[in-house]
Amino acid sequence: MRFQLKRLISQILLFFSANLGALGFRTGFCYPFFYCNSCPAATSACPLRAIEQSVYKGSFYWKLFLFPIIILGFFGVTSGRGVCGWACPIGLLQRLTGKVARRIKKNPKLKKIGQLKIEQYLRYIKYLILVILVIFTTYIIGFMFTDICPIGFLTGTIPTLLLYPSKFVPNPFFWVALTIFILFLILILSIERGWCRYFCPIGAILAPFNKISMLYVSTVNKNVLDKECIHCNACVNVCPMGIDVINMNRDPECILCGKCINVCPKNLIKFERV
Amino acid sequence: MKKIMIIQVCALILVSSSLSLMLVQTDIYDRVQSGIVEVLCLSCLKLEPITNTDFIFETTNGIPHPDFIIENLTKGVIFLHYSEDACSGCDIMYPVIKDLFNIEFGKEEMVYNITNFEDYEIIYYYANLDHTNKIMKNSFSIYDKDDIKGLPMFSIITLGYDKGIIKPYYTTLYGTLNLDNDPDRLDYLKHLLNQSIDIYLQNSEGYNP
Repeated sequence: MRFQLKRLISQILLFFSANLGALGFRTGFCYPFFYCNSCPAATSACPLRAIEQSVYKGSFYWKLFLFPIIILGFFGVTSGRGVCGWACPIGLLQRLTGKVARRIKKNPKLKKIGQLKIEQYLRYIKYLILVILVIFTTYIIGFMFTDICPIGFLTGTIPTLLLYPSKFVPNPFFWVALTIFILFLILILSIERGWCRYFCPIGAILAPFNKISMLYVSTVNKNVLDKECIHCNACVNVCPMGIDVINMNRDPECILCGKCINVCPKNLIKFERV
Repeated sequence: MKKIMIIQVCALILVSSSLSLMLVQTDIYDRVQSGIVEVLCLSCLKLEPITNTDFIFETTNGIPHPDFIIENLTKGVIFLHYSEDACSGCDIMYPVIKDLFNIEFGKEEMVYNITNFEDYEIIYYYANLDHTNKIMKNSFSIYDKDDIKGLPMFSIITLGYDKGIIKPYYTTLYGTLNLDNDPDRLDYLKHLLNQSIDIYLQNSEGYNP
């Protein structure tokens, strides 16, 4: 439990550090997680915005394209999707909505849907969003994901409207973005970490790094596992990303939250590092 | 086990050295800071400021008007048009501005054009803030009347009479002007340009830069 408290503190501290722009601290880095540079208190740039600017309408600025990928790559090589579990403010939000989602999950009908085979394929949507909406449509027709991004709406549009209520009015993208934002809220309230699982394009960049990251979650060796595991399924039930923990091998979905480690009665799951 | 360690170390060296090289050898840090973090893309924000067309004399933070503005005001009203890369709001406004002044330009970083608007000369400046020069970048913050720091932004600078002196007198508009279609935006800008030309004609004789 103390471990999860440490993770919560980390998430809260990083949320505040992502908003140091309120004190005038603005850098030229990209966030290694999902946060919008349109937020009135933003410290850094959204990595997706940098990628979109680099490939907009047939252009290609390699420096601007590589910069966010290298920053994400650095965090990916060291801790895989650890930033999703330990740093991302949207992860923190979903940690809060996760309790509601867990309750809803107990509904037998929804449980059945969650057990459908198609669920694992839905996880590829985030890769499609990254390739199609962030890169392809931006390059070909100039349609950008960030113009309709629900995270931008949450962290940029809403705070701006609250801080300057009589200064701004909706522009042509507002209503589409609002609709997507409402769907986003329904998603994260009905599926635990639904955004991270299925839609987050930054998660799509980080996920492959789980295969080579220096820090990762692993089970003990197979012989010991076969002998000692009591198949209580506690690890699978507690996993916010819905991973089959016992059979996972550097799963691209693992966000290193460590909940499975905390819950295993036989201590068969652990953090591994080089 | 050893193979994965070699891959990890190589990957870490690769990303660390690439990141260091990019930060030291290129202007990427400044580009991201000045282009993405410090300047708002209003289409990303999904909002735009309420259009306020009041003409004023005071520049932001009282910074003096740039030389190119002072000099060009002897020729006519100045229209400043600012945009950036990957800005949907800017893309919405390009055709309106091109129609307004009957001009054509592509992916230029900067355009300077003395153009005609209803038989009057208008000095038109276009600047893509991601690529333009320092003078134009500075002028963006000088004419950011409502302190929005957002794009697209348009400033119309004419001449006004203030306590016995004829001085630059300007207004600034943002985003898609809170209007839904191009004909309305065009009419709105035409009306505002006509108004600024009238003010210019009233005051230009007494202008001494």
